[in-house]
Amino acid sequence: ALNLGRGAKPKGYIVEDIWQELARAKYLLWEQESSKRSWELQSLKEACEAALEEKHVLDISRKEGFLDEASSTHLKQMEALRQVFRKAAEDDTPAEVPDYLCCKITLDIFRDPVITPSGVTYERAVILDHLDKVGKFDPITREPLRESQLVPNLAIKEAVRAYMDKHGWAYKAS
Amino acid sequence: MVLEAGLAGVAKQAEQLRLDGNYYFSKDRYGAAIDAYTEAITLCPNVPIYWTNRALCHLKRNDWTKVEADCRKAIQLDHDSVKGHYLLGLTLLQRNEYAEGIKELEKALNLGRGAKPKGYIVEDIWQELARAKYLLWEQESSKRSWELQSLKEACEAALEEKHVLDISIKEGFLDEASSTHLKQMEALRQVFRKAAEDDTPAEVPDYLCCKITLDIFQDPVITPSGVTYERAVILDHLDKVGKFDPITREPLRESQLVPNLAIKEAVRAYMDKHGWAYKAS
Repeated sequence: ALNLGRGAKPKGYIVEDIWQELARAKYLLWEQESSKRSWELQSLKEACEAALEEKHVLDISRKEGFLDEASSTHLKQMEALRQVFRKAAEDDTPAEVPDYLCCKITLDIFRDPVITPSGVTYERAVILDHLDKVGKFDPITREPLRESQLVPNLAIKEAVRAYMDKHGWAYKAS
Repeated sequence: MVLEAGLAGVAKQAEQLRLDGNYYFSKDRYGAAIDAYTEAITLCPNVPIYWTNRALCHLKRNDWTKVEADCRKAIQLDHDSVKGHYLLGLTLLQRNEYAEGIKELEKALNLGRGAKPKGYIVEDIWQELARAKYLLWEQESSKRSWELQSLKEACEAALEEKHVLDISIKEGFLDEASSTHLKQMEALRQVFRKAAEDDTPAEVPDYLCCKITLDIFQDPVITPSGVTYERAVILDHLDKVGKFDPITREPLRESQLVPNLAIKEAVRAYMDKHGWAYKAS
């Protein structure tokens, strides 16, 4: 529905509605799947931490005199383990969407990015609105700009799709 | 008047010496070239190019201390000396000062790209920079890799010990305990694989690669049809094959090419995260 609607009338309200519903659905699906992943990771992390703790307790009960070193090594190991699990959970952890995937005007992630002759990429609906209401110039470089000069930035559109596939939480902001 | 004429004469002499030096250099006679440039420097010590030319001769003779001295002088005279920063970068890399060397090479690349995009030196700087970034990544990722491996083995050992203790305590639930244990070990392997993901060479995403060369972009430009190509490659196509977009076959002129700044930034971010990608460049 979204693709058909965008083809027909880019600024139509129904396209906006379809997009909102689609984004909401994708977000809910991500939330569900990532909760499961999150829980599994947490369980595994706790099992590892428990096992390493037990081993450490056994180790220091055997060794005498190297307590400080053993404890310091153990603490470093636990911190390293936390980092590993943080990394494993990275894709599911909401963060800042990279600048180059966001419109310079709205600061939102692109849905339909277009590039101007100056090389700057904007959200299509937003730049069209600017040309209509503010003036026929590039908002950032202020060079003259006509609607016909806007080119779809297909590579960035693909980059956004790949990013959202990997980071479902990004559907919330849209 | 006389002084000006005198100075002009000296400058002319120095220039002639530079040309002599260039000639000797082209014949691989680096000693002679150095002498010529040195004389030029003596006459006109404030001309950056005499210093960088001499530095290049020292480089050919692997006289790195002298390379550094000469190009630092050149940079002092001209902060924007492309060759100065380039040669200084190479010198630092030679000493395995990767981070500093990379900074100089990046400076040289930016200055060079600003001056003359299609100059050969830009290609050389890029090659050296990619090589340096790859070596730096290799060094750092080996360390990370080793640390991850140690931690993984420690966890696996601890979980194994715990499992052995558990099954010796429980009777009758052996199969279930073993099956759970195996799943846990597999899950652990996945976690460590994920933690090592950034450092693991993989396929660079399509949208970061030129559709013609299939290599990661260095200087991406977009056509009116919305397709993005490597600048040098599309210029070559327009020059040798025809004035049309290779994929859509729509008419295309060089003036219509627009730098795809967003994709350029995306490539930079990707390579910062995945240093192994510098190898292919």
